[in-house]
Amino acid sequence: MSELLTNAFSVVSLASVFVLIALGLHFTFGLLGLVNLAHGEFLLLGAYIAYAVQEASGSTVAGVVAAPFGAALIGLVVERALLRFFYERPLDSLLATFGLAVIIRQGVQLIYSAVPRQVRDPLRGSFDLFDVNIPRWRLLIVVVDVLLVAGIGALLSRTRFGLRARASVRNPELAETMGIDVGWVRAFVFAIGSGVAGAAGALMAPISTLDPEFGLLFLVNSFLVVILGGVGSLYGLVAGGVVLGCSLALLQFAIPTVLAQIVVLVIAVAGVRLRPFLVERAGLSPARP
Amino acid sequence: MSASPLLEVESIDVSYGRAPVLRGVALEVDANEVVCVIGRNGAGKTTLLRAVMGVLPVRRGRIRFDGRDVTGWKGHRLARAGLAWVPQGSSVFPGLTVADHLDIALQAGDGSRPRAEVVELFPVLGERLRQEAQTLSGGERKMLGIAQALMAAPKLMLLDEPTEGIAPAVVAEVRTALLRLAEVCSVALVEQNVDTALAVSTRAYVLERGTVVEQGPTRHLYDSGVIRTRLGL
Repeated sequence: MSELLTNAFSVVSLASVFVLIALGLHFTFGLLGLVNLAHGEFLLLGAYIAYAVQEASGSTVAGVVAAPFGAALIGLVVERALLRFFYERPLDSLLATFGLAVIIRQGVQLIYSAVPRQVRDPLRGSFDLFDVNIPRWRLLIVVVDVLLVAGIGALLSRTRFGLRARASVRNPELAETMGIDVGWVRAFVFAIGSGVAGAAGALMAPISTLDPEFGLLFLVNSFLVVILGGVGSLYGLVAGGVVLGCSLALLQFAIPTVLAQIVVLVIAVAGVRLRPFLVERAGLSPARP
Repeated sequence: MSASPLLEVESIDVSYGRAPVLRGVALEVDANEVVCVIGRNGAGKTTLLRAVMGVLPVRRGRIRFDGRDVTGWKGHRLARAGLAWVPQGSSVFPGLTVADHLDIALQAGDGSRPRAEVVELFPVLGERLRQEAQTLSGGERKMLGIAQALMAAPKLMLLDEPTEGIAPAVVAEVRTALLRLAEVCSVALVEQNVDTALAVSTRAYVLERGTVVEQGPTRHLYDSGVIRTRLGL
């Protein structure tokens, strides 16, 4: 029983990691339509901001809190200076964000070298609940995940900014002529996406090895989650994260990790093919919220 | 109040890429006036409204609105200055409800017209506030477009073919809405339906191959046969 519960927590934990790393992409790829190959590098920035603040102040918590704000600010500058010229130009945006990713990665390597760094786990260790050993930091990731999804859902569906953002994304020309400054709305949407990616990076850092390649580990899985869940759908993204996370976690019990990842990729491809039918049968709109 | 026209379009040139569409087009709309722009398909009527609304760049000439030179202004600045645009077709925000559409209009402009007042003008929208706008009929979408523009309490509304592609029974409803609209703001209307143009506008401009070839009181242009000749009716 205890082993079953421990494994169940592992599954939930991995699913929440999948959701977490893909959440920022919901804004930049899902809403803005930018094929953002630099998404992983915003996770990287978040992780290194957490590390830098930790080293400067001695507080890892301060670093983790600072990470989303730092990443959001960098995202805002990058959108205004570079990416705003690439909306509705998917191939060009692919190239631009690839270049941006290389610049960020090499920039981080220039400053911190390729030597692995350590963001300390401020909650240290685990506790037992019903004979289940629960690592505190992984539990925090699950809790933050739930709060972030609820917060983003509320932001997009219940606030003035959310309504403007959805309007700007779905019909930019009409939104602009209705008094919405679409350029700045897009910039803030990108900044929020970057900030969420930064938060994800900072949360993943204590349970990962931090080096300049850190972001690359998450890029493919992030896109898989968003594409499987349905581009532009927050709840779809959560479903995609849960399906992929659970699949990988369960498969890892039975087969080697590399083989499990291949099977997960096959599941993702099959899911993308089947999703329109499933969405139609469930009577869901593919673009909410 | 200034004696100058509310909208002054001064000899503007507009192109799509290298292809010129408008050449030296001039147009004026006074306060509390309804002006109609008439012309065959491809004459440049929609291009004219899109240029005024800042959607297309003006290559030469000037546009003045409410006493200010607004040439080159972006759409959101023009909207906040009191210009509203109801585009051709049935442009809506996919996935957003009728209520969302009206709220966007209310939030975006400096307008203060309450939703209830606008819904009173278009009762059918009041019945469908929770419905997604893309599921409305063509006529209802046109009404939603006009209602949205009204929410922002504009000084001038640019209306692009409001009766195009809708059932004859609905045309009468839209025409009634236009007459009510004319009571609260100035209107620049692009329209191919001559009956609608005659019913709602006092002056008209006839556009042909990107230039203004005739202008004057709408009734006079119609009675003298100019409109019929130019439109090939």
